[in-house]
Amino acid sequence: MDFLNAIVALSNFVLIPAIAYGSQLALGALGVTLIYGILRFSNFAHGDTMAFGTMVVVLFTWWFQSMGITFGPLPTALLALPFGIIACALLIVGTDRVVYRFYREQKAKPMILVIASMGVMFIMNGLVRFIIGPNDQRFADGERFIISARDFKEMTGLREGLAIKTTQGITVVVAVIAVALLFWFLNRTRTGKSMRAYSDNEDLALLSGINPERVVLYTWLIVAALATVAGTLYGLDKTFKPFTYFQLLLPIFASAIVGGLGSPLGAIAGGFVIAFSEVTITYAWKKVLGYLLPDSLAPDGLVQLLSTDYKFAVSFAILVIVLLFKPTGLFKGKAV
Amino acid sequence: MTSNPYQDDRGNKDRTITNPSGSTMTAATGTDHEMNTGHAFLIGDSMTGGYGKTGPDILHDCTIAVNRGEIAVIVGPNGAGKSTAMKATFGMLHLREGSVRLGGEDITDLTPQARVAKGMGFVPQTSNIFTSMTVEENLEMGAFIRTDDFRDTMAQVYDLFPILKEKRNQAAGELSGGQRQQVAVGRALMTQPKVLLLDEPTAGVSPIVMDELFDRIIEVARTGISILMVEQNARQALEIADKGYVLVQGANAHTGTGKELLADPEVRQSFLGG
Repeated sequence: MDFLNAIVALSNFVLIPAIAYGSQLALGALGVTLIYGILRFSNFAHGDTMAFGTMVVVLFTWWFQSMGITFGPLPTALLALPFGIIACALLIVGTDRVVYRFYREQKAKPMILVIASMGVMFIMNGLVRFIIGPNDQRFADGERFIISARDFKEMTGLREGLAIKTTQGITVVVAVIAVALLFWFLNRTRTGKSMRAYSDNEDLALLSGINPERVVLYTWLIVAALATVAGTLYGLDKTFKPFTYFQLLLPIFASAIVGGLGSPLGAIAGGFVIAFSEVTITYAWKKVLGYLLPDSLAPDGLVQLLSTDYKFAVSFAILVIVLLFKPTGLFKGKAV
Repeated sequence: MTSNPYQDDRGNKDRTITNPSGSTMTAATGTDHEMNTGHAFLIGDSMTGGYGKTGPDILHDCTIAVNRGEIAVIVGPNGAGKSTAMKATFGMLHLREGSVRLGGEDITDLTPQARVAKGMGFVPQTSNIFTSMTVEENLEMGAFIRTDDFRDTMAQVYDLFPILKEKRNQAAGELSGGQRQQVAVGRALMTQPKVLLLDEPTAGVSPIVMDELFDRIIEVARTGISILMVEQNARQALEIADKGYVLVQGANAHTGTGKELLADPEVRQSFLGG
C-alpha cells in the first residue's frame, strides 16, 4: 500500500506535471530547432512569438465567451487556436519579409541574424504588452479536472490523491497530434522532404531545384503553428503573462540544444529531459520517501534539492553538462 | 628575304612567273591537330575567368568539350584548375571571356539550377548527398524539378546500382564511400540529364571500388549520356576516356583521345609518372 501511495504521489506531483510541461517545451523547442535547421540561426524572438500567438488566442477566447460560444467541457481556447495560428503566421511571415529576408539576401552570418532576432524579440515583446498589457490573464474554462484528487481517493481508497487537470490531458493529446502531424509532413510529403534536404545540404538542395524561399515560407508557417499551440497550452496550464513567455525562451533553448539543434526528435527528447529534471530537482521528496523508506530512515526535512525559484538554473546546468560532454546534443544535431 | 628555298625566286624578275607583291591570303592551319569541337554536345569554349567578379583569373582560354554519349576526362596536376574548368561549364564561375554551349544553345548566362533544367547533371566532389535522408529520399530529391512520374528512372538507377536498391531505406550518410558516390551519381541521374559532370568521383575510395565505379560510369555513358569528369587517377581515367584534356595552370596543355594521351611521351612523363 505504501508503495502504491508513493507511486501515486510521485505521479501527481512529478510525472504528470513534468509530462505536461515537457510537451509544452518540446513544442516550443521544435519551433526553435526547425528555424535553426533551415534558416540557420537561433531565433531569440521565439518566446515572444509564442506570446503573440497566445495573445490572439486569448482575445478570441474572450470574444467567443462574450458571445456565449463554448466548447463544452473543453476550453474555448481550442476553438480560438486556428485564429491565433493565422494571426501569428501573418506576423512572422511579415517579419521575415521585412527583416530576415534582407539578411538572407546579403548572406549575413548567423550571428547577425541572431542579433536581428533579438530586435524582433523586443518589438514583439512591446507589441504584446501594448495590446494585452503586462499582467496575468486567465482564459481557461470548461471542466477543470479529468480526475480530481478526491474522486481518485474515493475510487481507489488510497491515502494519496491523483489529480489530472483537463489542461494537462489536452496538452499531452494536442502535443502528440501536433508532433505526429509534423513528422508525417517532414517524412512523407514532398515539401517536407525538401525542407529536410535544404536543412541537410543547402547547395545540393539548390542543385536539385529546391526553391529556398519556398522552404523558408513553409518553415515560418509551421513555426507559427507550433509556437501558438505551445504558447496556448502553456497558458491554459498556468496563466498567460507576457514576461513568463519571454522567460520560457531559456528552457526552450536548453531543450533544443540538449536534444541537438536541428534535430526534431532531439527537440522532443530535450524538452522532456529539461522538464523532468526541473520538476524532480525542485520537488520536495519528503512525502514519497516517507512512503518508501522504513520509519527510522524517514527524512525530517523537505528533501528539496533546489527551491522552485531556481528552476532555470537546472536547465542551464544540464545545458552546460551536455555541451561539455556531447556538444552536438543527444541526437547529433549541428554543433552550435 | 625568307630562308625557305621554295620561296627563293633566285633573282627571277619575270612577272609572268612570280607576283612581286606577294600573296596575303595564305592558308595556315590553326593548331595542327583536330580540335573536334564541331559536334561537341557540351562545350566550354575558350573560357577565361575566376571566382567572383573581381577574383584573379584561374582559367586562361581553356576549352573543354564532350561529344554525345562519350566520356571526356580532365586531368592535370594539383591546382591546374581541373575542377574549376568543369564548374565553369556548370555556371559556378564568373567567365570574363568565352562561352558555354549545350547542344548548340548558348547557356553562358544561365544559373546552375537553370542548367539542370536544360539537361545537365552535376555531382560535386564533397557533400554530394543528403546524409540524413534515406537513399530513396536522396533519389526523390534528385527528381525534385520533375513533375512527371519518375519511378521508371528510379528503377533504372536501381538497375545500374543494385546495392542502392538493397539499402534504399538506409540513411545515405551510413553508407561506405563507394556507395555514397553511387547515391550521388544516382541522384544526379534522376533528372534524366543529357550530360553528367562528375567531380573526382573516385576520390577517397579503394582501388577495387574505383574500378567498379569506372565500370558503372562506362555503363551510364552507354545509355547515351555524355560524361565529363575530373579525375586524380589520370591513367585509369584516360583508359576509359574517349577524350582527354590535360590542363596546366588553367590552360589546355594537351588534348586528344584517351589513347593518344596515354601514348604521348610528354604527357606520360609529366603527368602519368613515366
